[in-house]
Amino acid sequence: MSELNQPESGATDDLSIDKLEKVVETNKDLYDELNKLTEVEAVEAYDTGEEAAAAVQEEKKAVSAAFLKIKNIYLDNDLFRYAVWSILLMLLSTTVLTIVEYDTFRDSVSGHLGKDNPNFFDTFYNTFWWSVVTFTTVGYGDVSPVTHFGKLLSIIIMLLNFGIVTLLGGAVASVLVAERLKGDDKLDESKFNGHLIIAGWNPSVPAVLRILQTDKNSTSVVILVNETDGELIERAISVFEDLDITHLCENFTNETVLRKAFLDKAGMFMILPDNSGLLPHEEPDEDKTVLTCLTAKAISEDCPVVAHVLNPENVSHLQRANVNEIVMPDEHVPHLLAKHVTNPGVPQLFDELINQEEDDKGIQQVGIPRPLMGQTHNKISAYFKFKHQWLLVGYAIRKSGFSLEDQMGESGSPLIRDMITEQLEGAGIKLSSDEHVVVEINPPDDYVIDDKHRALVLR
Amino acid sequence: MNPSPEQIKKINHFSKLPIDMCAKIAAVVEIDNCPVKEELLTEGETGDTMVLVFQGQVEVSKSMMVKAASGFTTSRKSIIRLETTDPPPAEDPISEATVAVVQLPAFGIGEFSLVLDDAIRTAHVVATTPVQYGILKLDEFSKIVEENPAIGGPVYFEVAKAAVNNLATASQDISNLTQAFFFSLTR
Repeated sequence: MSELNQPESGATDDLSIDKLEKVVETNKDLYDELNKLTEVEAVEAYDTGEEAAAAVQEEKKAVSAAFLKIKNIYLDNDLFRYAVWSILLMLLSTTVLTIVEYDTFRDSVSGHLGKDNPNFFDTFYNTFWWSVVTFTTVGYGDVSPVTHFGKLLSIIIMLLNFGIVTLLGGAVASVLVAERLKGDDKLDESKFNGHLIIAGWNPSVPAVLRILQTDKNSTSVVILVNETDGELIERAISVFEDLDITHLCENFTNETVLRKAFLDKAGMFMILPDNSGLLPHEEPDEDKTVLTCLTAKAISEDCPVVAHVLNPENVSHLQRANVNEIVMPDEHVPHLLAKHVTNPGVPQLFDELINQEEDDKGIQQVGIPRPLMGQTHNKISAYFKFKHQWLLVGYAIRKSGFSLEDQMGESGSPLIRDMITEQLEGAGIKLSSDEHVVVEINPPDDYVIDDKHRALVLR
Repeated sequence: MNPSPEQIKKINHFSKLPIDMCAKIAAVVEIDNCPVKEELLTEGETGDTMVLVFQGQVEVSKSMMVKAASGFTTSRKSIIRLETTDPPPAEDPISEATVAVVQLPAFGIGEFSLVLDDAIRTAHVVATTPVQYGILKLDEFSKIVEENPAIGGPVYFEVAKAAVNNLATASQDISNLTQAFFFSLTR
């Protein structure tokens, strides 16, 4: 397989048709060999089994999430709580009065509707009507209990109703007042977990959102934090119907604002050059990017931060601020320009790959089936090629960060090791650096894959 | 009162000596008692004596500069406790051990003084139980070695072994501290 990757210039002279056929034959043999592996049989079973299990798991998750959401609303929202109690009390009083004053309410139904023999549901509905009229303090008086016991129950119900309706009215008023006082800037916490926060606004944000919208595997919940006019943002994001986008019109360098965006629960924090309030010829202030990164890492060490910078001088500042990834789009430009001269076609290929926006096309990162862990690259490559017709380009590998404790191990005296640990922790210095992703492109055939690897395939 | 040659032989540094040689060392060592909390060795001082502990428990600690809320301060950090097993300490230790307790039939401390007359004590040694100990002076030991050169080999070998171990640990400590230094600079 690697022989086919030889550059054309070096290959034409030496590579005979026989040799080419041999390479093709080798690839066939490899797939046949791969098919003999019990692991591959397991992969077949694993694919379907895992999908079914995942679907059931997903369903269970959705039900429990719905229950949890209702519970949280009940606990947090006074209005909802009192409304629930009101409805329950109305239903309870309807049921009790239907039993105790059945004849009265049935006669009332026949009187009003002219039905000779109203059934149970007519009577129940008529009693429910009485409950609602009583609860809302309207009190038409078209029907009322006549027995002593029925009247006694009505007194109890009306007194209970007095308390609950008062609380409900108070809750409605307080919600309205609170909304008026604080505006609409408090976000519903239950919605935000593993979401994406984008700090800063520039023309690349809609493009990012467009790609996110096409990718079903990435989060659909996005918070935009910038000081650009709300109406402008609304117009720009209105096309992304599949995304749940919230705009916080505030200064993203502020810790309170980042906390309000639930940074500690975010799956990714993206800091972009912010054009908010700038004239077309003005450059964004990139110090804000560094400052925001520092603030974000102070709030949550674990939240991955990706920063887009225009000025290379800020790279070292961002690295010191412990940013996880730095994107500098302009750094590719000289390479692309030079490749137009040295390797025509390569820049076009690059454009084609990077600009693929269809969900199932282009370079994508996909998981490697568990049974194939521990296998070599040529087998994984054959698996993707023959099973999915995908070309395996390389791997994205999660490398755990440098850990000082692991590095020291048991070496030296425990006294010194303990002192280093104590003093660094006391100074607020974390003893390990964050996990980061590295890429291994076209490794040798005998390269072994472990569970830290994800495949980068061309679909 | 002098210790018995058997008591001398229990100490690691002298364990390879024949009993008659141990008797020569025992003859120049005087048994003494050290009450609880008393310092047997003080870090930073120089000395030309090795302390031979026959019974009891001691705690080895080092003074270290640490950063506290009020600023930098010197604090004493325990490294290890050493305890005799033959015989065991006469009393329970005054405090619970927060570090490893290494048990030996008997043990010697400040062994570098058998080689250097101005060896700097590298740690504090404090009695955590009543301790029965003896002092072996450099000049007296040197005199015995001069008269009986066969004693020198096994004893100096043990001292050299301890020195080499200390050197290896110190080298690893420097490596750890250097790593920590560069690590903290980048954070």
